[in-house]
Amino acid sequence: MVPDKLDGVSASHDHPADPSRRRLLAGLLTAYTASLIPWALAQPAPHADRGAFTALSALLVGRQALDAAQATRLYDALATASPHFPADVQALLTLINERHIDPLQLQGVLDGEHSPLAPLPRSIMSAWTLGVVGSGENARCVAYETALDAVIVADVLKPPTYAYGAYGSWTGKPS
Amino acid sequence: MSAELSADIVVIGAGIVGALAAQRLARQGASVLILEAGPRLERARVVAAFRNSPFKGNWMAPYPPSPWAPHPIYVPQDNGYLKQAGPYPYPAEYIRAVGGTTWHWAAQAWRLVPNDVRIKSLYGVGVDWPLSYEELDPWYQEAEELLGVAGADNTGSPRQHPFPMAPVAEPWSMRRVRERLAPAYPVVANTVARNSRGYDGRPACVGNNSCQPICPVNAQYLGINAVEAAEAAGAKVIPNAVVYRIEHDVKGHIAAVHYYAPDKSEHRVTGTTFILAANGVESPKLLLLSASDTYPNGLANRSGMVGRHLMDHPSTSLTFYADEELWLGRGPQSPSSINTLRDGAFRSQHAPYRLDFTNISQVLNVTNDLIKEGVYGAEFEKQLRWRAARQINVKNVLEVLPNPDNRITLSAEKDAMGIPKPEAHYAIDDYTRRAAEVSKADFARIAELMGGTGLRYSADGQFANNQHITGTMSMGNDPATSVVDAFGRTHDHENLFVCSTGVMPTAATMNSTLTGVALALRTAEHILPAKNSHAATAHVGHETSLA
Repeated sequence: MVPDKLDGVSASHDHPADPSRRRLLAGLLTAYTASLIPWALAQPAPHADRGAFTALSALLVGRQALDAAQATRLYDALATASPHFPADVQALLTLINERHIDPLQLQGVLDGEHSPLAPLPRSIMSAWTLGVVGSGENARCVAYETALDAVIVADVLKPPTYAYGAYGSWTGKPS
Repeated sequence: MSAELSADIVVIGAGIVGALAAQRLARQGASVLILEAGPRLERARVVAAFRNSPFKGNWMAPYPPSPWAPHPIYVPQDNGYLKQAGPYPYPAEYIRAVGGTTWHWAAQAWRLVPNDVRIKSLYGVGVDWPLSYEELDPWYQEAEELLGVAGADNTGSPRQHPFPMAPVAEPWSMRRVRERLAPAYPVVANTVARNSRGYDGRPACVGNNSCQPICPVNAQYLGINAVEAAEAAGAKVIPNAVVYRIEHDVKGHIAAVHYYAPDKSEHRVTGTTFILAANGVESPKLLLLSASDTYPNGLANRSGMVGRHLMDHPSTSLTFYADEELWLGRGPQSPSSINTLRDGAFRSQHAPYRLDFTNISQVLNVTNDLIKEGVYGAEFEKQLRWRAARQINVKNVLEVLPNPDNRITLSAEKDAMGIPKPEAHYAIDDYTRRAAEVSKADFARIAELMGGTGLRYSADGQFANNQHITGTMSMGNDPATSVVDAFGRTHDHENLFVCSTGVMPTAATMNSTLTGVALALRTAEHILPAKNSHAATAHVGHETSLA
């Protein structure tokens, strides 16, 4: 089950609706990044920081849609965990925009340049794909059944603790 | 000090082993009191704790220790409860709670193979047990019927009567492994305490794939089921009762045990017969803690063997990608293994082993790997599906020989209640290491037969632990070299018995719980014979009473 509700559709989650203050993600993207996540161009965002988070998230997880409510929860959790998070997101998105960095090469580039932004992609990936924000003693679970690692395989597997099906239903070939 | 409590039988520890001994004794009309250091848990809360945990790969996460009855925790960091004296780490995991460690287990309920109890005579290594496999057989049967064990007859462990249940339906992944490894390796259904049909009021498995850390639906037998059976038979459980001393009288009989409540108030419990069933680490700790002027080395320790001969099952493993989609994670976690290497003349040279396949969903591990590798963008989803469909793991389960230098002692460090922490002294010897080397050829052959790519062997010299704590209160006929006799009675104290996997003199190659339960039922019969007992015929009546 792929969520089809796009960011902005339920923007009232984080701010009272004030359409005049919203902006489209298109304004945050260059032609290069827009080509990777064309769906995002027309998506409204409540403010630039959230818009940048949605755009960067979409680039990293490589999906053409992201659940808006989940985006809000993850953004809030990540921003709470690190006061620099919104600025770091803006900075990394700008970097990708300007240098046309392939998402698949991104981590290698940041690590190679000893960039202070190097931990950022992993923290965003962890949030979206595992539902986990933070690490060590500060780790928090923000999502489980709706984390992308569950969503991506939902046609074949149930998240552990959820019943697969009636007794013996697992004997057949996965299809 | 509060008013004294008293019972015919006082059991220390409310795990699966002690609770099943307790239920058997309570059924015979004895008054039974079970003292458990940890709290009572609720299944639904454990399930919720797992779902909300940021550490889903750590099966201890849903079982946080209570301040008054700590247990070892290693994630996100070592809580320092089980001290490590080395040279090799022994990071045992167990749960101090009503129901004990089998709140989370794979429910692998194996019997030994007959030669496991005679390795000294047959292979010149380890020790012989003070009883034969044939003597164990009826107790295994009784244990299997209480737990509800599903299994097949082709695992190398003979039996006189049928399994209570047919094997659990084979997941597609394991079917393909079985088909592709034949005839080089016979892959057989694991013997498990998991329902392949409704049994004893509990449902058949529905494939939640979370056997560890928690079966949400009660299709897998847990220690809490044993506790509830004991209570139904009339036993009383006192949770949060941290026993810190066993008291003896002038004749060396056990007179009472003393426990702390969480507020550290002291309580004394008297009884006629005492059963120590607090697992292979906490039980020897308590015997050592109970030293007195008469017994300066601790109770039941005339031999000096209490806490010694610590054994478990180390594992090395191979992870790889099969050349077809298997999609581990559909059905139960531990369905299948290879049992042909559990015995043989090679045991004079190196350890025997089982080869165990997991059917645990690979999604979590694969996702972690992809994030670690920095695989982002469209490739992430593609790789996640490809790897989660094909990744498979096989591990060995290696025997460790009894060695008196591997032991549990009392640490100088104390827990929050002021009780010394246990300290592990552990090493893995060449007998076991040689087997790990030998099994690499099996790993390679298995990968070859599965069209494996991306082979990742566990690091040389690194062993994962399996939490099958054995040996620390070994049984034997000689009081100079063992702690309890063949019936679990301590050589030194007539009314003190031990029910635990810790009485097993050798570890063999199978998960130890069923053997621990079988021995405990035998001990219970020795303490108070069942009416109409037993042994080889008892199972008939049992099936009726369980229905």
